[in-house]
Amino acid sequence: MEEGYTSLPASHLLGSVPAVIAEDKTTSVASEAASTANLHLFPPSNGGYQAPGTPSGADEQTTSSWQGVFSISSYSSYFNVDTDVVVERIISSVYPMNDFYRKIDGNPDLYGPIWISATLMFMLAALGNFGTYLMKKRNDSSTTWTFDVTYVEWSACAIFGYMLAVPAAFYFLLQYFGFRTSLVRLWCMWGYSLFIFMPICLLLVVPVELFRWIIILLAGIASSWFIAVNLKAYTQSSDLMMLIVGAMVLQFALALFIKMFFFP
Amino acid sequence: MSHSDTIPLHSSAQSDIDEIENLINAGSHPVTVLPARPPSPPRASIPVSFVPSAAPPPLPSYQKVPSSTAPTPPPLPITPTAAGSRLGVGIAADGFGSPPDTLTEPVLDTVKRDLSRIVSNLKLVVFPNPFREDPGKALRDWDLWGPFFFIIFLGLVLSWSASVKKSEVFAVAFAVLAAGAVILTLNVLLLGGHIIFFQSLSLLGYCLFPLDIGALICMLKDNVVIKIVVVSITLAWSSWAAYPFMSAAVNPRRKALALYPVFLMYISVGFLIIAID
Repeated sequence: MEEGYTSLPASHLLGSVPAVIAEDKTTSVASEAASTANLHLFPPSNGGYQAPGTPSGADEQTTSSWQGVFSISSYSSYFNVDTDVVVERIISSVYPMNDFYRKIDGNPDLYGPIWISATLMFMLAALGNFGTYLMKKRNDSSTTWTFDVTYVEWSACAIFGYMLAVPAAFYFLLQYFGFRTSLVRLWCMWGYSLFIFMPICLLLVVPVELFRWIIILLAGIASSWFIAVNLKAYTQSSDLMMLIVGAMVLQFALALFIKMFFFP
Repeated sequence: MSHSDTIPLHSSAQSDIDEIENLINAGSHPVTVLPARPPSPPRASIPVSFVPSAAPPPLPSYQKVPSSTAPTPPPLPITPTAAGSRLGVGIAADGFGSPPDTLTEPVLDTVKRDLSRIVSNLKLVVFPNPFREDPGKALRDWDLWGPFFFIIFLGLVLSWSASVKKSEVFAVAFAVLAAGAVILTLNVLLLGGHIIFFQSLSLLGYCLFPLDIGALICMLKDNVVIKIVVVSITLAWSSWAAYPFMSAAVNPRRKALALYPVFLMYISVGFLIIAID
């Protein structure tokens, strides 16, 4: 049964019972290449099902059915990553270097953004409570531990709201300015850019106010720089300096919000 | 009357066709077959298959006769093994046995049956068990009552433990667990894994049982160190219970991708248990 996983000619049939398809290598390669070529369309328009052997270029696009939004198999092409690929992308997101964008260009994934956001949300809620308690205890040693459960709600709204809204807004702005952009790649990039806040959360627990401010400023700058470099490489022009500066400011504002709300 | 009394309806001695004929003959006198007490309300039965020539309208009335004993003429106790079960002639899929009774049985019977299923599923999933390595065997008889009870119980215990904002605590716990189970299952499906949606929901709910015990102990004992120890042990137990199922469902290269969110959810619930004051 294990061997069946490594050879997936029927990868486009995910979510249903995998049929034994005796297709030759050429058609499967063609369909897989075509399926990755359609990744810039989000949500997927043709229901995601790429029948083996069909010339899935032009004539699939014409049958744009909205049912693609609701079937799982049409989204599984955005999760086509292995563990080592995800780890490599995470590591390369910490350094604001130029080649992150090239890593995700061929195969943008949504796994990273979703689970980095979820992890960050829980870490903020948990460590925010802990850090607040330590700070209060430092000032007034008679405080008792209280758990503010609204931190969970606030962190969920803040992180997921930011992750959903900001790349979408930039997608529409870039479209308005005439650039052909891909929403999935923007989501992917912004999602991985949040990873740096996770170790920062751990460091922010230390109840020394000056240390906290230094840490969050450094993190904000690094994260904004990451966004700027990748956005610039993506749009490949310098006319949109205002947009890029706007993205940097938003990322920095998120860093400040994290510090001021969760670790006051 | 006398004609119906002489219907032998022996369970195995007669051939099927003879039994069909007897049923037809008995069906022609539907009133005589009814017992002394009023018949039970008509059961919702799914006609599985009809023998083409032998499906006369009176037959459905024949099956309204309750199969339980009562002071009935001799043919009736034999009806549980009647031709209906083997021919499926307009009768519920398993014939006159217990399944047609599930709508009319006492509530206590239903509750007892569901409880025993929850206990047996729990033993399969959470406790060490020879069948654990085969996830298909592990929770074949999945149900959602168990997970429902465990999630609600955990939310209630956390809510009771909290000193302020009790309803928000319950809401957060319930939302994280319920939405988390759905999202985790979708995650496995999107990564190319092969699981059944509700079976996975059921399993993730059953694996909450150790955390339920941990939360109950933490509610009773308010010492931080004890809480941390208890939650660590039950967290490890929950993760151990969920691990084989989740890891077998996906491509081995993506195993960590599928398992990490499970651990994330259980760790965050564990932290919630420790942190609630």
